[in-house]
Amino acid sequence: MRAFMQPSTRRFSSIRRANIGYGLRFLCISVIISLIRPSPQRITFGPPQPVITNQPILGVHTRLTDEVEEWKIQRTLQMVREMGATHIVEFFPWAYYQAEDGSIAWEHPDLVIGHARANGLKVIARIGYTPDWARPPDTPLTYLDQDAYDEFAAFAAAFAERYKETVDAIIIGNEPNLSFEWGYRSTGPEDYVGLLQVAYPVVKNANPDVQILAGALAPTVEPEGSPWAINDLTYLRGMYEVDAASFFDGLAVHAYGLTFPAEAEPAPEILNFRRVELLREIMVEFGDETTPIYITETGWNDHPRWTMAVRPGQRINYTLAAIDYAAENWPYVKSIALWAFRYPAPTRSYPDYFTLVTPEFMPKPIYDALKEYTGN
Amino acid sequence: MRVGIDPTYPPFALADDAGLRGIDVDFAQALAEELGLEAQFTYFGYDGLYDALTTGQVDVLISALVILPEKTKDIAYSIPYFDAGLVLIAPTSGSPVARIANLDGKILAVELGSIGHVTALELQRNGSGFDIRTYGGVSEALAAVGAGEAHAALVDSISGRLYLREMKSQDDLSLAIVGNPVTSEPFAIATRIDDRILKAKLNEAISRLIAAGKLTTIIEHHLD
Repeated sequence: MRAFMQPSTRRFSSIRRANIGYGLRFLCISVIISLIRPSPQRITFGPPQPVITNQPILGVHTRLTDEVEEWKIQRTLQMVREMGATHIVEFFPWAYYQAEDGSIAWEHPDLVIGHARANGLKVIARIGYTPDWARPPDTPLTYLDQDAYDEFAAFAAAFAERYKETVDAIIIGNEPNLSFEWGYRSTGPEDYVGLLQVAYPVVKNANPDVQILAGALAPTVEPEGSPWAINDLTYLRGMYEVDAASFFDGLAVHAYGLTFPAEAEPAPEILNFRRVELLREIMVEFGDETTPIYITETGWNDHPRWTMAVRPGQRINYTLAAIDYAAENWPYVKSIALWAFRYPAPTRSYPDYFTLVTPEFMPKPIYDALKEYTGN
Repeated sequence: MRVGIDPTYPPFALADDAGLRGIDVDFAQALAEELGLEAQFTYFGYDGLYDALTTGQVDVLISALVILPEKTKDIAYSIPYFDAGLVLIAPTSGSPVARIANLDGKILAVELGSIGHVTALELQRNGSGFDIRTYGGVSEALAAVGAGEAHAALVDSISGRLYLREMKSQDDLSLAIVGNPVTSEPFAIATRIDDRILKAKLNEAISRLIAAGKLTTIIEHHLD
């Protein structure tokens, strides 16, 4: 047996020596490469820069959730500051950050919040998207039911406490009057108010100064009984009917102008910018006139063919007129945030024409117009 | 066949008092016929299309969708049925421009901030010697070529074809698409990643429609 084993043992030894030789060479080459390769660019937040603006209610909704390159996060927020916006609205998906064991990966939100603070920007944080461990199998990210309300509230509270210097307000969820934003379930305002009831005290306990924003209702004139959506006016009324008022500090509103000028008269059957006034009427009707409104998405689209778009020049005029209108006529409006500053990558469809700069950071005329408008 | 579609995007899909119509509508109906099915349309905004597919609300999306690599974890795309890439449009008579390489020393019109603008800047960085002149919209860029302010325009093929169709309706044939498309932007049908049989059958049906010239007829009816 031994005689038969020796050759193979020698061969093994030979291979092992060869492997050690290759290994040493690989190690040496790796060390040399690591020495000559430029080290990764280190980006610092830098000293805080002030926002210069003569229109402090102007904000903009950024899209940094999927932006993985730090210099792009930094560049985005620098350009927001240079445009004269005082704050951003940004989405922070719970599902991306928290593991089932409760641990939270703060690295990405730390970058966004850190660069926002360095650029003198306050943040309105929208929190949503349910981790897979907190929802039934085969449900979408937007599915959040009452079994996970406590976990959602705990995450939102941790977020509000961690970023209390920069995050002024937190939006609970997004457009809950759309079934696809509620996990494709038939929904009613009582479900969403149930979430507010759980989240509000927990988040306020963690950070008493943070403003809890409800709603961010999608403007829609969907007919009654539609499986896809509930009219936003109907939905808000329904929220008040189940005593929502005690569980939010401000109402987030989405107010798109579509094809109408900013000053166009509102009407229940029309979607336009001044639909905000109809929502406000409902708030006043329920005795909630002291609660402010935050317009967390607004704007016009200038795609050449989309049926709800306007011409690029109209888009600029309507947008500036909307900001003026809100500042002059709506003392209860604390923010008017344009959708959207920039997409990380183009959709190659009409949504790209909502943005103020291209994915390559090329300013569109509306960006320059806003910059001039704010005195920058 | 349950089809998710955004009916706000002519000439691919538009729903108004005259009903639902467009390239994607005719294409979906032709496909369904090939498969022995009936097309049933459900309307979504762009933001809701992919969620509607992945959650089983519809079987396919036929809605002027560009193939997006980042979606392919959950989505499988069919073979392309349309190319919305960038094209050069130049005067039909006396123009020295037949392709990008002819643009050295010339003026190229683009819509500010558009894909055409970004592509033109990339071409410049890679050595193309043209000057870029920006305009507020596609129509303005093309009108500038017609007025002699620019030698050619770089625009998406849909906008370009629709503009040329409008000119043609006024017996104006002074501009035309020249050369091959500068970039490719294929539109495809989106299916769920696990629906392999459906995707295979759709691809076969698309191939038959292409071979029979039916797809070209549908597209030309709406664009040319």
